[in-house]
Amino acid sequence: MRMPLLALLAKESAHGYELKSQLEQIFGEAYPAPNIGQIYVTLQRLERDGLVRSQDVVQVTRPNKRVYELTDAGREAVIDWIDTPSEGPRVRDEFFMKLALSPLAGTSDRLGLINRQRRHYLSQLRGLSELAVAADRRIPRLLIEGAILHLQADLDWLERCQEDFV
Amino acid sequence: MRAMARWIRADLRASTARAVVVAAMAAGVVTALLLSAGLLQGATNPWQGLFTATRGAQIWLHLSPGTDVGRLRSQVGGIEAIAGPYPATAATLTADGQRTRVELRAMGPRLPAIGRPLLVSGRWLTARSLPGVVLEATFAQAIHAGTGATLVIDNVDETARVRVRVVGLAQTADQGFYPDQTPGLIWVLPGLLREVEPDAGHTEEVVGLRIADPAATGLVVQQVVTQLGSSAVGTVSTWQQVQQSMARRDPLLGLLLALFGLMALGAAVLAIVNVTSGRVLLQTADLGMLKTLGFTPVQVMTMLTAEHALLAGCGIAAGLLAARLLMPALLGGVPGVSAAAATLPAGWAAVIAAGCFCVVLLATAAPAWQAGRVLPVAAVRVLPPRGRLSRIASIAMAARTPPALVLGARSAFVRRLAAALTISGLAIPMMMITIGLGFWSTLDDVQRHPADIGLAARVTVNPGPLTTAQTLRLIHADRQVLRAYSCVLAEALVPGETTTITTLGMGTSGHPYPFHVVQGQLYHAPEQAVATAALLSALGLKLGQFVRMWFGGVPVTFHIVGRIIDPQYGGQLLAYGRDTLADEGAAAPIGFYSLILRPGVTPSRAVTALMRASGRRLDVAEVPDPADQLGIVRGAVAALIAVLAVIGLTSLVTTSLLGYRDQLRDVSVLRAMGLTPLQVRAALMTRTTVLALIAVGVGTVVGRLFSVSLISAVSRLYGLGAGIGSPPSAWMLAGAVTLAVGAAAVAGILPFRPPGRLRAAAILGP
Amino acid sequence: MTGDGGRQVLRTVNLTKAFAGDGTAVTAVRGADLALEHGEFAAITGPSGAGKSTLLHMLGGLERPTSGEIWLDGKRVDQLSQARWAVLRRRHIGFVFQFFNLVSNMTVADNVELAAIMGGASRKQAQARREELLGELGLAGKARAAPARLSGGEQQRVALARAMANRPLLLLADEPTGNLDSATSLGVLALLGRVHSSGQSILLVTHDSRVASAADRVISLFDGMVVDDAPMTAPRHPMPLPDVLRLRG
Repeated sequence: MRMPLLALLAKESAHGYELKSQLEQIFGEAYPAPNIGQIYVTLQRLERDGLVRSQDVVQVTRPNKRVYELTDAGREAVIDWIDTPSEGPRVRDEFFMKLALSPLAGTSDRLGLINRQRRHYLSQLRGLSELAVAADRRIPRLLIEGAILHLQADLDWLERCQEDFV
Repeated sequence: MRAMARWIRADLRASTARAVVVAAMAAGVVTALLLSAGLLQGATNPWQGLFTATRGAQIWLHLSPGTDVGRLRSQVGGIEAIAGPYPATAATLTADGQRTRVELRAMGPRLPAIGRPLLVSGRWLTARSLPGVVLEATFAQAIHAGTGATLVIDNVDETARVRVRVVGLAQTADQGFYPDQTPGLIWVLPGLLREVEPDAGHTEEVVGLRIADPAATGLVVQQVVTQLGSSAVGTVSTWQQVQQSMARRDPLLGLLLALFGLMALGAAVLAIVNVTSGRVLLQTADLGMLKTLGFTPVQVMTMLTAEHALLAGCGIAAGLLAARLLMPALLGGVPGVSAAAATLPAGWAAVIAAGCFCVVLLATAAPAWQAGRVLPVAAVRVLPPRGRLSRIASIAMAARTPPALVLGARSAFVRRLAAALTISGLAIPMMMITIGLGFWSTLDDVQRHPADIGLAARVTVNPGPLTTAQTLRLIHADRQVLRAYSCVLAEALVPGETTTITTLGMGTSGHPYPFHVVQGQLYHAPEQAVATAALLSALGLKLGQFVRMWFGGVPVTFHIVGRIIDPQYGGQLLAYGRDTLADEGAAAPIGFYSLILRPGVTPSRAVTALMRASGRRLDVAEVPDPADQLGIVRGAVAALIAVLAVIGLTSLVTTSLLGYRDQLRDVSVLRAMGLTPLQVRAALMTRTTVLALIAVGVGTVVGRLFSVSLISAVSRLYGLGAGIGSPPSAWMLAGAVTLAVGAAAVAGILPFRPPGRLRAAAILGP
Repeated sequence: MTGDGGRQVLRTVNLTKAFAGDGTAVTAVRGADLALEHGEFAAITGPSGAGKSTLLHMLGGLERPTSGEIWLDGKRVDQLSQARWAVLRRRHIGFVFQFFNLVSNMTVADNVELAAIMGGASRKQAQARREELLGELGLAGKARAAPARLSGGEQQRVALARAMANRPLLLLADEPTGNLDSATSLGVLALLGRVHSSGQSILLVTHDSRVASAADRVISLFDGMVVDDAPMTAPRHPMPLPDVLRLRG
């Protein structure tokens, strides 16, 4: 949750509800609807870590809202996050988030992103392949095969993304 | 059922060209066979058709005037009806300056029931048209007189002359075709006959007898002659003689067509088998798909057979139509072929059509059944043939022979059965073409050396108003004449007295006419004679035997010393020195003079010269040259060769298509191994060409071997004896072979799309 | 990717191939620049229709490029005639397809020997080379078999033998495992690895990422263009078993 919020703020400052609706808008059904409370808690943590700063905006007819914006450190963190290849299935979501949000971050082109991820996967695949050849017991070998298959699936998915985004 | 019809329709639409080929093949074969049969029938046995059409009489007698035939029916058993008696007399016809012997026969305006002449042009005699006459069709053709022509007829003594107009032409089964059966026949009204020949003593009576049992003809003739007395009987002709005479009209034609008809059948069957089964093989992949869709094996087989039956049916119908259209055109040019007999012999047509249909079905059945049996997937994946790179091939490749040649040549033999079928499918037409070319050479030979078939003399002079001395003087005065022989024509009654035959006293024993003797020797002494093979077999004689004949009651014994070839007089001829007759007391007047011209002199020139020299008083005529009629024969040979070539080509194309399909699989790997697209194409071309070379070689060699012996054998059958055939010239053969192999090469590359597109192969899958 | 042209076994400059479809032109390969060093093993991946096969066929002379240059061992080859290309394929380029890799109406041994003979060997040499190759591939017993009777994997192994018969400069393979199950694919892959380790330069096209990962370099093609061309890095750290578990978690 932390990094997506940072990425969203990289584009423009927003308050909690705006961030929530942005997340929903971008990820729609695929992403579990974020709890506004969780968002505020995460924002507060981010502020405590110095990655964002907040500001109160006075409104006449409504209660005041708190607007958050990215600090330099925060911006750095976003760039770092996006540039670093991700890991594993759960982290695939992370990769996908990066892919979806990177133009907002204005940082790197999608193609380069995809390429880097692919290279990483391939490298892992090679490692796992070598491992699979060396493995002499069944359970570990099957586990490795499973990981390989996941990786292959991920690579295929990468291709699909490439077709769609590029 | 509907599904099947749909598939058939879709398949025909998809491979229209190949379907058309099958139908066209069937059509071509049927047409060729029907035309052959029609020509064969019409030219070699026109008698049957004519006889039926004219309700002919089997026996014709020329009797002395006043003979009573009224009681014949009761006296001799087996006679159904009597035609005539018709008064007849000899006369001379003058037309276009030529004088010809004719027989005038009187008939009334009402056509008789028996032996009724068959009108082919114009109309019959009517009571009012006194100066109107009807000519016998072949005679009319020979003298180039058609309906409406004006002729001048003189009687024998030259005492009366009438001008007549031809009102019609008719055919008859009474006698053979002119000029085998000279004189020419003209039907006139009784009044006209009396005008020409008022002397009843110079007329004969012509009577026709229709008998119940044709096999008993000889017996009936004997009885009739006995009844009427042999002195009353001038000539007797039987239906067998007439039939043979008509049949021998153009022996070479009959020969040719009989052979061709037979072998065309063989080649046709092969061609149809090749094309049909090739087409089915190409459809196998589709069929596998159909089975996957749920068609049962029986349905698949039914569909295939139905489709091909449809194609065959269309082809056969087209063939029948084409034959019907072409027949009159083709036969119109053949002289002497009766129009009646020229209609498509219905029996033959049915047999040929049915036969062709059956062949197509059978040719479909085997592969269709296989296609039905084979499992769907296996059908789609046609298994390539097993093979190996033979030692010869790998040695050749290692020796840096062009790989396209080696690979192409070896791939020709991987599918053994298909290769064998292709080779035989080509070799047979090639063999027939070679034999056809042999015929062509023989025709050339005959035209260049007519003496070889007994045509040494090209011109005859008939005694006319001039005396013998005058005639001889004129003849010898002409520098174009090399030699002249005085000849007599004598009718002889043969043993058993059932028939009379025409015999010729040609020259004298000391000075014999130079017949072309193929066996034995010419007559050099009195009572020696030569005969044609047909006569010998008709009389049951052999060389060296003796035979006794009666010339107007005078018996003469001949010693047969030689065998000759002579197509005249129905091919049955006995010739001797005329002094033999004189010695025996049966001397006959000079019938005609046979003139042998100097080499290089054309008969027409000689005729013109003699006519001029004699002031048109000499009756000169050209001997009709059988070689003239050979023009149509050449045409027939050429047409048949063309049909054979098409048959061969279709075989080739089918093979090539099959080979292409096999080759398609290997295109990628061949290219990968380092062959250019051109080389891959060349390999395919080589494959077809190698097969063609073998087939052509075998066919040509076998054809050449058989060419001469075949012609000789059949000519013996036709009474010409052996010694005619000559083989096709080396140039002709070389030309034919080159053309055939060239066509094969072209057929080899035709179906081949450029192999640059490897994608196709990649997509196709295994 | 630099290095002087004489040392690289393969180099292309702005290679393009456009097909004229019915009316519309389809560009299968646009401006591809690649280079392969001697002894390198590179894989070309990408979605189907990306132009991989077309690219490979151009490199083997089986398709003519619309524009661009191809340099083989320092000599320019893209403008060669079909005949010269054919000679190149006999001696210096080995090509393996996805299917139809063997002449169907000859035995396995004949196929390999034929390739050798066409490459210039004598019959004895061809026979010896065939025995050597088939032996290495474990197919000595199938020498007399017809290609159609072999399994897919065996056919591909024979195809490799055929392609290697003349010790070519460059081995080009188009989806060599495309038709095979994963187990057989691994076998072929191992074979390729062995071949590579004996110094053979290999360029193969594949959509199997596992096969791609075995190469030294992976070139990604998308919509006819090279979008990525990077050497394969060894994995960041050797992977002990627990890491795999963590991966799955």
